[in-house]
Parts: sequence; structure tokens; C-alpha cells
Amino acid sequence: EETGDDESYEYGKGDFMEHACKYCGVQNPACVVRCNVPSCRKWFCNSRGNTSGSHIVNHLVRAKHKEVCLHKDSPLGETILECYNCGCRNVFLLGFISAKTESVVVLLCREPCLNVNALKDMNWDLSQWCPLIDDRCFLQWLVKVPSEQEQLRARHISAQQINKVEELWKTNPDATLEDLEKPGVDDEPQPVALKYEDAYQYQNVFAPLIKLEADYDKMMKESQSKDNLTIRWDIGLNKKRIAYFVFPKEDNELRLVPGDELRLRYSGDAAHPAWQSVGHVIKLTAQEEVALELRASQGVPVDVNHGFSVDFVWKSTSFDRMQGAMKTFAVDETSVSGYIYHHLLGHEVEFQMVRNALPRRFGAPGLPELNASQVFAVKNVLQKPISLIQGPPGTGKTVTSAAIVYHMAKQGQGQVLVCAPSNVAVDQLAEKISATGLKVVRLCAKSREAVSSPVEHLTLHYQVRHLDTSEKSELHKLQQLKDEQGELSSSDEKKYKALKRATEREISQSADVICCTCVGAGDPRLANFRFRQVLIDESTQSTEPECLIPLVLGAKQVVLVGDHCQLGPVIMCKKAARAGLAQSLFERLVMLSVKPIRLQVQYRMHPSLSEFPSNSFYEGTLQNGVTINERQSPGIDFPWPVPNRPMFFYVQMGQEEISASGTSYLNRTEAANVEKIVTTFLRSGVVPSQIGVITPYEGQRAYIVNYMSRNGALRQQLYKEIEVASVDSFQGREKDYIILSCVRSNEHQGIGFLNDPRRLNVALTRARYGIVILGNPKVLSKQPLWNGLLTHYKEHECLVEGPLNNLKQSMVQFQKPKKIYN
Amino acid sequence: DDEIHVRQKVMLVDPEEEAEFDREFRALMQESLDSRKLELRARPTLNMMIPMNVFEGQGQGHGSGRVSEGESGDEGTEYEEGGGRKEVQVKVLVKRGSKQQTRQMLIPSDCSLVQSTKQKEAAELEE
Ligand SMILES: [Zn+2]
Ligand SMILES: [Zn+2]
Ligand SMILES: [Zn+2]
Repeated sequence: EETGDDESYEYGKGDFMEHACKYCGVQNPACVVRCNVPSCRKWFCNSRGNTSGSHIVNHLVRAKHKEVCLHKDSPLGETILECYNCGCRNVFLLGFISAKTESVVVLLCREPCLNVNALKDMNWDLSQWCPLIDDRCFLQWLVKVPSEQEQLRARHISAQQINKVEELWKTNPDATLEDLEKPGVDDEPQPVALKYEDAYQYQNVFAPLIKLEADYDKMMKESQSKDNLTIRWDIGLNKKRIAYFVFPKEDNELRLVPGDELRLRYSGDAAHPAWQSVGHVIKLTAQEEVALELRASQGVPVDVNHGFSVDFVWKSTSFDRMQGAMKTFAVDETSVSGYIYHHLLGHEVEFQMVRNALPRRFGAPGLPELNASQVFAVKNVLQKPISLIQGPPGTGKTVTSAAIVYHMAKQGQGQVLVCAPSNVAVDQLAEKISATGLKVVRLCAKSREAVSSPVEHLTLHYQVRHLDTSEKSELHKLQQLKDEQGELSSSDEKKYKALKRATEREISQSADVICCTCVGAGDPRLANFRFRQVLIDESTQSTEPECLIPLVLGAKQVVLVGDHCQLGPVIMCKKAARAGLAQSLFERLVMLSVKPIRLQVQYRMHPSLSEFPSNSFYEGTLQNGVTINERQSPGIDFPWPVPNRPMFFYVQMGQEEISASGTSYLNRTEAANVEKIVTTFLRSGVVPSQIGVITPYEGQRAYIVNYMSRNGALRQQLYKEIEVASVDSFQGREKDYIILSCVRSNEHQGIGFLNDPRRLNVALTRARYGIVILGNPKVLSKQPLWNGLLTHYKEHECLVEGPLNNLKQSMVQFQKPKKIYN
Repeated sequence: DDEIHVRQKVMLVDPEEEAEFDREFRALMQESLDSRKLELRARPTLNMMIPMNVFEGQGQGHGSGRVSEGESGDEGTEYEEGGGRKEVQVKVLVKRGSKQQTRQMLIPSDCSLVQSTKQKEAAELEE
């Protein structure tokens, strides 16, 4: 019992028992639990210290971990906390219920087990579900709070220190609090510059930023293991085994995309040995169901459906290619022309004209006629070694790019390389370029060959398979054999690979244009290709090193297309983002006073909808290529407050609401009104595919989806077909009607995501026919840009409140906008 | 003077940090809930029978119930802690693989979990 106060235990020296709280060092087994995430396994105590939640709850929230295990010397012994019925281990969903008559308690998850009707007939009392985490702390009778004495002796960690160390653990799980004091750890990396002495200095700045981002990405993905998955088995057309399962989104940070590699595991049972296989995601459904095509078909336990686990297989390929491109840029003099080299580094270079004969007409066959600003862009670009084209929403960026590529290809400078950061953009561009009659090869990553594509006939793998000449019949035969048997003998496999490589090379070389993602330009299959002319679309959405990958294959003439007034590249690592990795090459070149050529006529939005974005983001230069008449939807009876002005700001005063359980964070009123608006649209004859609901937070997104399908006044299926997504996933796309639910209206925190003007621009410019914005003007008006938007809506009598069938102009007072400091 | 030294180190909770934490906490909670709603289109089957041996004394044969500090005695007994707070012993039913086990544990008698049991017991006694 006597511990002795003089005990010479050195707190803060990392000299703890393994199960000591990683924050404060408390090591009483009754007070600590272990985080059960395999990559973490750290212990934390149940005291609050100087924070609003207990240490373990702090950790779970900050790290987004959700499973814990009790200490072996705790009253319950070594126990992973899980739902007694379904095995769910998410502690945020667990709570105790007790038997009606006996002193027996059991852990049960809130959703769905607590709501299973059959339970009511049993001996359990469901009225008193007692959540495991209560008031941001584990139930104190399950995990004891350390005594006052213990807490006084413990390390007094602050919330800031917790945030820092959690951030550190994301890249170095073994880091200690002491590491926070070490020089270098907290140091910000060297920020990006406007100009660089040489390519080595350039590399010295960007290489560490890419490394930071890569480390972060790796940690993020590898911590995303999921257990207890239910699998539905299927077989693909190529005879490969496909596993379907639901991979719930954890937060806004990680999104699965087709081509991602996952490892599926089964731990085995009496009838099945343990099994695992790696596969590629080939499809994602709106219901978050993932289709995983397995690499190996043998030994798959297809008669089992439950108890599978899945991990992310992180690949460094894209980051390696960026690092590789920077190195090539520095060491290989032929990587880009001298002019481009100096220009990219921000050196003063005397302007050079590109001496190429200009075409008489600037349009291209198979494409719509170009307007004046598009013709101007094409003509300009063809004469310059480096040019920037700014394409505001709906201004025909893709058509202009395709016309440029058409004329470049006709100049006889060799093959043209066309890239974009996203596969979707590459596909769209490939389709348009192909329409001009040029021979296009769309090069896909090997991992995406099974992913369906709208331009499949242009893809290299498709063309290889369907090349129909007699000399290729050997390859054809081997391919057939491989498809039927799943694999080939080693000598046949060798022969097959050699033949395939030769065919790939032949097809690629005979193309006029190669299309691939920026990262795809680093594919070994293009290693010996040279491209003098490179066009990069959506270049404002890629990082500089990513942009460099297609450039270092010999670029002499570079066209960057994009819009720096819309969203930039997504950088996960805050440190790297702060240092400037989120700034695109396009933006830096703009700052180096390369003047972008702006496309000025927009063909998407009803003129009323383009007015505010044009004035706020494009100095009022955006002209309308569509008339009010062309954007009138006959027969659609929707209560727009001002006829001919299909827009309104729907005032929502419903504050963020905390449900009775104290656990829910939502703007339910807003969600309910989204459903009403959607229903009104549907009733008036709009079809689901015409409607897009934009909402910033994953929580609200899921809530709206769920709410609409449960409470929607019309057929459930209709609501399921409506796309509800984040602003970011709507970039580059359009819908006829957009409903924007701002969700957050938090007095302390500001308005979070909505603060970024570029995101607001994107949100406001997706709709063709009409837009409804739901939000709280009192909170939003504090931000200058939002204040402007609200004033604009008010001036046009489009700021309204009340029931949808009786909208009245709102007299709500705005707040003074705060100054922005940059 | 040791204690005074310690007290000086106490920091206040930063309201902004607190708001930020709160926001993340609730978001995580909501996401957890929503992800389950989407995931489980098929309702799980129930396997919630209380094993009979739970009622027979100390759960023999299914792993001995661990006894928490300083208690002995029969189930359902109330204990008085040092501070005068009453505790009551319950059995926590857990699964080890497919096996059911119980573990004994003390919980405060004012906990809502045991309140209802006690009320019912009282009601039954009255009848
Ligand atoms: Zn953890
Ligand atoms: Zn602690
Ligand atoms: Zn459950």
C-alpha cells in the first residue's frame, strides 16, 4: 500500500511502465486503457488534467481512433470493449444495458443493436442505455479516474501539447512528449519561394515537403484498417474474384478512389485456414460499397461472408515520381529547354516567340465553334513557349485545350503529351481530342485497367487487346489462355510480357497524342518517350512537383490550363501546406507576372447566377454565353421569390443542435429543409440526376442522405439517386439545380471551410438553372465575402425566410464583416 | 511547499481549444453513428440470451469472475465506500470468442443502470 513519496521516479524521462498514460504518465492499471488500433496501441488514462475531455477520449478524438482494450489487472481483465451482440468495437457507439431482473450488464452498440425490436421481448431493459463515454470521459466505474494525488504527480499536459504530439505521432508513432522540445521537430520546413537560384535549390525546398506529405499520407492510410467486414462475392468478366463490402468513410480526410490497393484478410476458422490477398478498388457505389478485384483467385474463402478485415496498402509511386522529376529537372540538361528551365525558376529571360506557322482557322474539326476569347487563347498559346489559360467555370476550357492540342499535333513537332491531375479530367480531354480525328492513346495506371472508363476504346490496354493483325495473333492467343486459366506457364508468361510490351510501345508510338495523369507521365512505359509540347489541364489543382513530371520529358512548349480562383491541390499534411506546397505552378507563374489568358464567356449558369461570381472573383469580366430564355425550365413550378431569378438564400436560424444524448452535432433544421426543397423540385418534374446537394461536412452529408431516404415524402429510390457531396467533389462538374447547405454556424470557430473564397466560388458556380443556399446570415455575414453575397441576395429580394410555400423577405440584420489578415 | 509548486503549474482550459475539441468529438460521434446506419442494411440477428449459469452463483465453469478490490460476499449486496458512496456489485457479461463469460464489478448504486433493477425489485417485493 505504501508507495513512498520519495520514490525517485523520474517523471518526464520516458522511464514509464509500458501501460503508463502517454500524455501524463499515470500508470494505475485501473485508470488506463490501451488504444486498440494496431498501428497505435498506446495507453491513456481517464483523467482530464487541463483538458475538457479525459486523456483517452482526447487521444481517440484527435487520432480518430475508436477501439480500446482494458488492462489485464483492471476489474474486467484484458478485454477489448465490444458490442455483445454484433462485435462492433467503436467505443463512441457502445453503452451498457442491464438485465430486467438480475444484476447483469452487457455492452451493446447504439446502432443498430439497441434498436433491434426483438430485444424488447427479452430480459433486457433498454430504457437505461448508459453510454461508455459520458461527458467526454469513460464511465468512471469502468475506468477509474486517477486520484488527486496521482494527478498531482503526473505530467501536466496542455491541450496544445496534446495536439502537437498527436500530430507528431502521425508520422512517428514512437515520438514522446520530450521530442516536442527537441530542435527541428516543431520547426516549420523551409517555405516555397517565388524564384530559385537553380534546380538544386528548387529540389532542396520541394523534396522535404513532398516527403512530409508522403509520410502523412502513409500514416493516414495505414491506420485505416477495418475489421468485422461482411463480404459479398462475385466474379468479374475477366474471371477475377471481386469482393464487395462497405467501407464507411471515417472523416473528410481519406477518400477511397478506384485504383487504390487494399489487402483483404480472413483470420481463419475450423474449416478455413487464414487467408489474405491484395486487390484493387475498381468501383465505388454511392452507398459506399467498394468493389475490390483480387489479384489471386486461389484459396479465396468464398463460402465465408463475415469476419473479414481490410487494410490499406500504401504505395509511394506518385511521391517517388515527383522526387524523380525534380531530380531529372536538376541533373538532366535535356529535361526541359533552356527557356523553360529559367522561366520555371523565375529567372529573367528574354521573350522568345515560337516560330511555327499559324493555322488559318483556330477551331478544330469535331469541336464546337470557338468564341472570340477562345480563339484569342489558341492563337496566343501557339506562339509562346509558356502560356497560362484561365478558364472560369463553364467557359469551355476543355474545348479550347482540345483545339490547342489539335493544332500542336498538326505542327509536326512530334507527339503531344496531355495531362491533368485527375483521371476524370484526362478522360474528358482524351474524348474531346479524339473527336478532332487525332489518334489518341489514353495511358492508365496498371491498377486502374479494370476500372471502367468512358473512353475505354482509347486506353492503351484496350487497344493492345483489340489490335487485330495477324502478327499479333500470338499475343492474342496467349492473352486468351491467360484469361481462361488465370495464369500462364513461366515461359509463356515471359513470351506474353515481351509481346505485350512491344505492342504497347508500337501503339503508343503511332499515336498523335498521349493522354495520362500527371503522375502517369512518370510511367516506365513512357520512359524513352520525348514530348516537346505538353498541355496540362486543371494544373491549378496539382502541386508543382506533380506538374513537373510531364514537363521533364523534353518540354519546349508548355500550356498550363486551370483557374487559380477555384480550389487548389489537396494537401493533407498541414505543415507542408503551410510551407506552400498547396500553391500550384500556375499560381507562382502568375505571381512572376506571366499573364494568364482568360476565357470570358460562360455557358453554364443562368445569367443571374453568374453575376455575383463574376463580380467577386473575375473582376466582372465574365460574360454570359447563355440567355435567360435558354436557362428557363418550362413546366418546372418552383417557388422562386423573384421570377426570372432562380436563386435564393434561405435563412436558417436553427442553431447547431446537440441532441438529448449530448452526442449529436447537426443542423437538423437545415437538413429537413433540404429534403423539402428536394421534394418540391421532384414534384415539379425535375429528375434526381439534375439535382446536386452540396454540404461541407461528412457528418451532415451522411445525415442528409439518411434523412431524405427515411423521411422523404416521395419514393425512397428518388432520394437515393440524388448526389449529396462536398464542394471539393463537385469541382469541375455541374448540375441543373444546386442546394448548398452551409451547416456550420458556430460563433467561436467562424465558418471553417466556407472561409476559403475559392471554395465559395466553386460552390456558387455548379448550377445551370437554379441555386438555393441554406445558412445562418448572422454568422456568415461576419466574413467579408459572405457579407457581400448576402447583400447581393438581399438587394435582389432573394434573402428569404418562412415556409417554402410562403417565402417572405427576411429582415435579419447582418453583422459587420471582420477584416481579413493574410 | 511541494504542493504549492504543483498548483502553480496548473493551466486553464483554453476555450478555443475546448470548442475545437468539442467540435471534433461530436463530428466523430456523428460519423460513427451515420456510418453504422448506412452500413447495416441487414439488421443483425440477436444472440442475447443470458447464460443460465450467470444466475448460479459465481459463474462456475466459464472463467472465474474477477473480484474487484476489497469485496467478498454475495451478489446484489451494497457496499459502502470510504466516502459514503454506495456501490453495488454487478456481473458484466462478455464474449470470449463464442464463449460467454461473466466478470464481477462494482458500480455506483446511483447509476441509472442499477436504478431500474432496484426499482423493479422493490416493486416486486411490494406486490
Ligand atoms: Zn490510438
Ligand atoms: Zn493521462
Ligand atoms: Zn451491436
